Amino acid sequence: MQQKILEIKNLGKSYGETTALANFSLDLAPGEVLGLLGPNGAGKTTLISILSGTLRDFSGSVAFRGQDLFADRRLKNRIGIVPQEMAFYEDLSALENLLFWGGLYDIPEKELKRRALELLAVVELSTRAREPVKKFSGGMKRRLNVAIGLVHRPELLLLDEPTVGIDVQAKVSILDIIREVGRKGTSVVFTTHQLAEVEQTCSRIAIMDQGKILATGTLAELIRIVGEKEIVEVSGEFSATAFSEAIPAPSGAGIEILSVSDDFAMLAFADSQDIPAMMQRLFAHRLHVADLKIKSPSLEAVFLKMTGRSLRD
Amino acid sequence: MKKIWHIGRLDLKLMVKDKAFFFWVLLFPLAFILIFGNLFGSSRTDTRASLTVLNQDRGKWGAYFIRKLESPKIELAVVNEPPAEYYRVLVIPPDFSTRIERKAAQEIQFLKDSEADLKAGAVADTKITQAIVKLLAELVMYGNRDMKAFFDTRNPYRDLVSVHTRLPKDTIAKIPSGFDHTLPGILVQFVMMMVLIYGGISVMEDRKHRVLARILYSSASFAELFGGKLLGRLLMGLLQSAILVAAGLLLFRLNLGNVWLSSLNIVVFAAAMAALSIFVGSVLRKEELIIGVSMLLANMFAGLGGCWWPIEIVPPAFRAAAMVSPAYWAMDTFHKIIFFGKGFAAVWPNLLVLLGFGAVSTALALRFFKVEE
Repeated sequence: MQQKILEIKNLGKSYGETTALANFSLDLAPGEVLGLLGPNGAGKTTLISILSGTLRDFSGSVAFRGQDLFADRRLKNRIGIVPQEMAFYEDLSALENLLFWGGLYDIPEKELKRRALELLAVVELSTRAREPVKKFSGGMKRRLNVAIGLVHRPELLLLDEPTVGIDVQAKVSILDIIREVGRKGTSVVFTTHQLAEVEQTCSRIAIMDQGKILATGTLAELIRIVGEKEIVEVSGEFSATAFSEAIPAPSGAGIEILSVSDDFAMLAFADSQDIPAMMQRLFAHRLHVADLKIKSPSLEAVFLKMTGRSLRD
Repeated sequence: MKKIWHIGRLDLKLMVKDKAFFFWVLLFPLAFILIFGNLFGSSRTDTRASLTVLNQDRGKWGAYFIRKLESPKIELAVVNEPPAEYYRVLVIPPDFSTRIERKAAQEIQFLKDSEADLKAGAVADTKITQAIVKLLAELVMYGNRDMKAFFDTRNPYRDLVSVHTRLPKDTIAKIPSGFDHTLPGILVQFVMMMVLIYGGISVMEDRKHRVLARILYSSASFAELFGGKLLGRLLMGLLQSAILVAAGLLLFRLNLGNVWLSSLNIVVFAAAMAALSIFVGSVLRKEELIIGVSMLLANMFAGLGGCWWPIEIVPPAFRAAAMVSPAYWAMDTFHKIIFFGKGFAAVWPNLLVLLGFGAVSTALALRFFKVEE
């Protein structure tokens, strides 16, 4: 059996009375691209902080290729971490930044420069390599942020919300980089609360909430959790209470309310023939329905089923 | 060590990249040097003391006495009428020779302008005293011989005595003044100011943008990160010093005395400031606050520590209070090396005090240094 590149066992971390991580366990195979999906406050950044070694005082264990990650500092040379913040020097150029950050990993100077120039090409910053980073757009800065995490060619890359606050084009570019890195054999863990990003990029997905892993698997495996059901999204003018009264949960073998809030509800139907009956019940309770969408099972439905809330909440 | 150098060198590079760098480290301190250098006068202009002698003597002894005043250090002017203007004037009375020949008590007047240079005055004082001692010694040795025959060329007692004066050990020979004092003073002030401001702000910014935390994502240890930051700020202080020393040598013929010892003083002082800047940047979270506190500390320490005026001229109570300022110890070390020609044996206690400041600042910096907000 191939050795896991990362094995996290029963990780626990609390801030006072708030639990950030509780019995969190996860493992990662070499070359795997894992998307860690969770709403704000799910514990994603705490996990990255522990893995990066900046957060101590936690319970549980983390092994990198079978070795305790925190026992030997040199193991950090094999891991790349991309924080959520643009953590680099804005007064330096992109090339100077890569040379500085790469210089922390004992890479010979010539080799480092070669790698830096190569990476700048990968993240499409070659033409602006010698300009101060403070002149860059948000998307360019994000790409540089990722490049810094890659300059020492890590075996494992951890990215904390790498696409936060950038436009669609820049987002696509970063996701392409992550896919390319994974394709070349680097294992990747990236946290996000964007469903589409993990659907498009990851070979495996872990859903986490309130410091726990709720489910892991490929997209197909996760979708099977909600079964071969039709997903119906209902929006209109109603309160969550009134909707729940109209469609009591569980409302029978065929209908399952995945999520309900004021003006929006998501339901799973084993048989699409039951949809008109649901509509009749809503009208009977004088609930105004403005829109109704019938969808195939998606990651969003899985997420709602697992967490009971939308990523937007 | 390689990582410490790598981290430290970058901080220096970032400081030099600042658009206002040359204004803050060169032009601004030069303005201070010119103001204070001229305010406290230059010690080089008065190396020769002028002395006017009003010789009213009707005999030979007055001229004989004047000859004994001649020296390369004295600019002597002999006049017969009272001068309208003078720095200092020695009045030889009309009966000077008569009284000597009668072996009677003698009174000569020495008048000084209160505005005259003290150092030059001291040189004239010494020369007059030496001349009196020489004359008296010759007269004593000549004894009861015929006074009229004293000026006989065969008289062996003529110009027999020579007098050498030297100051007792540890006497302050001169008051530090002019550019020789101002240059080290402004250097000390600006090392404080630049290291505290640049060093403090960059620690705060690096923490805020998680750059410090990201450095620890690599295999760099906390000790290497802290050491790198400390080295970076030390290099900032040394660069500031090097720029001012170079400017001082070029523009003001700066005298550092024993260069190695003065350099050691600069290194130890800059190291103490480096640690203090990390402490300031660790406890303060806003740039304006760091600038304000750094300016306040640097100027307060500079004023108190004798960077702007020689500490030798301030009242003893003020001087005692000045000892709380690290600038005092650095300036006192400079004065001992530059003005009083002292060696390591005289300055090591000062350097030890500065190292103590550095140790306390380092302990405080370590206690409050955080990699994340």
